Amino acid sequence: MTKFDYKNMWVYIEHDGTTISTVSLELLCEARKLCDVTGDKLVAVAVDGLPEAELAKIRATGIDQMMVVHGTGYERYNNDAYTNLFTVLCQKYNPSAVFVGGTTNGRDFAPRFAARLNTGCTSDAIEVVYNPESGDIEFIEPAVGGKMMAVITVPVLRPQVGTIRPGTFKYEPVGEKAEIEVIHETVDFDPALIRTKLLKFIPEEDDGAVNLAAEEVVVCLGNGLSGSDKLGKYQELADLLGGKLGCTRPVFDRGILPFKQMIGQSGVVVKPKLLVSFGVSGAINHTAGMKDAGTIIAVNSDPDAAIFGVADYGIVGDMDTVCDMMIEALKARQ
Amino acid sequence: MAKFNPVTPEIAEQLKAIVGEKRFQYGANVKEEYSHDEMPIYGKFPPEAVVEVETTEEVSKIMKICNDNLIPVTVRGSGTSLTGASVPIHGGLVLSTARMNKILSYDMNNMAVTLQPGVLLQDLAADVEKHGFYYPPDPGSKTSTVGGNIATNAGGMRAVKYGSTRDYVLQLTVVLADGRVMEIGKTVTKSSTGYSLTHLMVSSEGTLGVITQMTLKMVPKPSKNISALLIFENLEDCVATVPKIRIANLDPQSIEFMDADIVRSSTVFTGKQLFPEKYSGKNVDASILVTLVGEDDDELANRVEKLANLAEAHGAIDTLVVDTPTLKTEVWAARSAFLTSIEGDAKLMDELDVVVPVDKFAPYVLFVRKQGEELGLTVRNFGHAGDGNLHIYTCSNDKTLDEFWAANNELMDRCYEECKRIGGSMSGEHGVGHGKVKYLKESVGDIAFGLMQGIKAVFDPNGILNPGKVCS
Amino acid sequence: MLKILVCVKQVPDVNLVKIDPVTGSLIRDGVPAIMNPLDGSALEAAVRIKETYGGEITAITMGPDNAAAVLRECISVGASQAILCSDYAFKDADTLSTSYVIGKAAKMFGEYDLIICGKETLDGATGQMGSQLAERFGATMVSSTSLIMEVNEEMGTVIAERELEGGVEVLEAQMPALFTVEKTNYQPRIPNFKGWKFARTAPITKLTADTIEGLDRNKIGAPGSGTIVPRTYPPEKAEGGMILDEGSVEKNVAKVMEILADKGLV
Repeated sequence: MTKFDYKNMWVYIEHDGTTISTVSLELLCEARKLCDVTGDKLVAVAVDGLPEAELAKIRATGIDQMMVVHGTGYERYNNDAYTNLFTVLCQKYNPSAVFVGGTTNGRDFAPRFAARLNTGCTSDAIEVVYNPESGDIEFIEPAVGGKMMAVITVPVLRPQVGTIRPGTFKYEPVGEKAEIEVIHETVDFDPALIRTKLLKFIPEEDDGAVNLAAEEVVVCLGNGLSGSDKLGKYQELADLLGGKLGCTRPVFDRGILPFKQMIGQSGVVVKPKLLVSFGVSGAINHTAGMKDAGTIIAVNSDPDAAIFGVADYGIVGDMDTVCDMMIEALKARQ
Repeated sequence: MAKFNPVTPEIAEQLKAIVGEKRFQYGANVKEEYSHDEMPIYGKFPPEAVVEVETTEEVSKIMKICNDNLIPVTVRGSGTSLTGASVPIHGGLVLSTARMNKILSYDMNNMAVTLQPGVLLQDLAADVEKHGFYYPPDPGSKTSTVGGNIATNAGGMRAVKYGSTRDYVLQLTVVLADGRVMEIGKTVTKSSTGYSLTHLMVSSEGTLGVITQMTLKMVPKPSKNISALLIFENLEDCVATVPKIRIANLDPQSIEFMDADIVRSSTVFTGKQLFPEKYSGKNVDASILVTLVGEDDDELANRVEKLANLAEAHGAIDTLVVDTPTLKTEVWAARSAFLTSIEGDAKLMDELDVVVPVDKFAPYVLFVRKQGEELGLTVRNFGHAGDGNLHIYTCSNDKTLDEFWAANNELMDRCYEECKRIGGSMSGEHGVGHGKVKYLKESVGDIAFGLMQGIKAVFDPNGILNPGKVCS
Repeated sequence: MLKILVCVKQVPDVNLVKIDPVTGSLIRDGVPAIMNPLDGSALEAAVRIKETYGGEITAITMGPDNAAAVLRECISVGASQAILCSDYAFKDADTLSTSYVIGKAAKMFGEYDLIICGKETLDGATGQMGSQLAERFGATMVSSTSLIMEVNEEMGTVIAERELEGGVEVLEAQMPALFTVEKTNYQPRIPNFKGWKFARTAPITKLTADTIEGLDRNKIGAPGSGTIVPRTYPPEKAEGGMILDEGSVEKNVAKVMEILADKGLV
């Protein structure tokens, strides 16, 4: 059996019995595009128990086949039963690819069933491209701390197993197909063989504490801020962007924001994916603490402000006005 | 003191003509950052105008105008001083050297580098290392300018082995108060040529002239380093070990002292328990971090062993060895976070930078602790134990500003007096600025203070250079 | 007595790796080789278990000869045995073949109750080794472990906290069990002088493809790997320092929103 004898692409539907993990739906949409190129069938593999409304979301992505798994051992995610399940199913159906959302649990069992099947597994891809020459999927992943992009393929073995970083693809369903084949599979896994027991689950508490160093989006206020009465709009912008407020030393000195929100050499060093800076002059003491942000947008009324030297994109203008416009634009997008 | 004149619109035009519109700020356009340094508790004093100079010629022209018109001039690098030294307390002009940030040339055979004063210390250190050399002075603030380092004779942790900035200044270009340009010093290692004007410029905090170019000495870069953390159950034992390390001929690059309080603040701030607070069931009250440099692994290991034996003989709980790139980075990052963690903890804060004889270090630390307790101030200290240089921070979160100043001034008076009594000096590396003028006079005595004022008058008869600082 | 295996890897400190702006290739000159930081946490977890419950720690790595340095780090804080798998034949191994070699080599020295790894490496960051090693050892898998709370040797169980997206689960796992650990509670300790000195000259067991028992040559190195890396390329560069000039502030803001949308940041 050569790699060309393996057909169809599978997407593992991760769910908790009521809701599907977003990444699974994102994956279905992206895998749909791949299948359109390769002619493979797109198969959603889900353990039974999802409500109709959630199943409709799956169908809406244009799947060709729905595989519903029944049996014991799957009530709660566990490495033992899920590793076994995908080993058994892959051996029976020989899919060409199995995509698994790169959640903690997804990354927990995908490499293991790949090892059990003696096939290649890739992790945390942010792009998947089909190469018609080799017949392989190219999984594109950031490497060396994001300084390089690496193309990974599984050149000989099948299935090609890959976990995909959540939030990479968009859930843009192309519409339900007129005919969806539904397969029911029963794979019992003896609960006695599950070697982990859940003693308790402690949901994450949001204690409201700001930890800027861990934020992915930061809105930073500099001394151009006229007063604390304007804080509200920047907070609103930060909320819309899914981030937190930071500041420079003068803003802290003026008592507008606390020390733990001060960014700079003598404050917090941040590396968010996005930093939007308002009214910051760009003194080195400050920029030393933020220059490694992924994308830096700077807004300042002074075209010669040093901050523009470290920013990726600059806007010269009144910070309050620009903030209002950004809020408006973000609200319009929602 | 001479009565100063304001920067009138006419003078502003003249200054602007020298540097151009982009490098000139006047009146309402002056940026806020120029009104304070990193010790804002000493007050904010906005300058009337700011010039960002790029050449010696510009500085010369500007000084002439200011001297003729009796306008105070405060030279500023990146404003990281802790004493108000770079703050224009009499208004006037701030002369920023931040744009003079070029490293000009290397003289490899004579191990010298020539640069402009606005080069940041971190940039100089990295560039020198790229050329295979080492520039040892390393004050905590890596974004300070090298010009500022000379003006305060900055030291840092490696001073134990290598000395402070003073020991690295070979040659200076200085613009005098009246605009004349003077070149002093030579790129040679010895000199017996009358009064050393070069050394007079070092630690003068911008009161004698404006340094516009310098040639500094470099040393060969040591190829290996290793650090050891000596942990103690009590502070006296810990500090008493320091002189023993010095006389044991281990040639340490640095000997840093930290007490349990500062370790705790740092742990809370960085979220990393790197320095132990408890070890083998014992409370760690104080630790010393010793760094050794060398060329050979085995030779270094020998010295580490001697150090560990010495520590054990003097009551250390244990000696921990920092020998991996990761641990080295983490340990020095945690050490560098000390000041930041204190700042993060305290709403109100002041600092002392005294140097005491090494064998008086322990009683002095205990003395300061006690004064803090008596006066209701939180005292945090860490320092360069190897050279007796202690950084003491007085902090408060519950006092009003007035209450804080009252308690703080009392503590400062007591601590400086005790420092003088035991033969110490009032500042090791932060300088005098305007925050500590009173204590300088007490520390050096009337005769020396008078001579300093005389020297100041020779260099700057009109007293326009950084008035209100050091001895003016 | 508990037998603990700690799996470590030597990696370049990628934070210090730079990209040549002209060629786009990696500049590794002067970049120190370090123990993968999360492996340091794995080691710390093992040492704490040994301190609390007793036991014996074996450390293992695969890499070039100078990877012995990370094994010495393990010895300096309490590992009593160190195994270095080093052979040109192991070159270009992915996690499938690396886990195979590590599994075969470690089993030559007995069985393990606990196998502890870092959650992922700094360089490859696949996070697959733990899971695939669990398969090689037939061990219970517990990934993203933030704390190993209790080891019950008699019952053969371990209670541990596992960090998930929405919270923490407390699991009881049957030994043999493999844990991949997070940094959360495991700041690596600084070795003391005694440990450090001992580690400098302590013996390290070096194994090659020939000396690892029962090794299938087809399952090691590049031939034994499931994946390959046909090419790498530098990520798209940001147009740094660009001040937008679309004609008006409104248009500039619109442009920024467009850029952010393209980058998936809004």
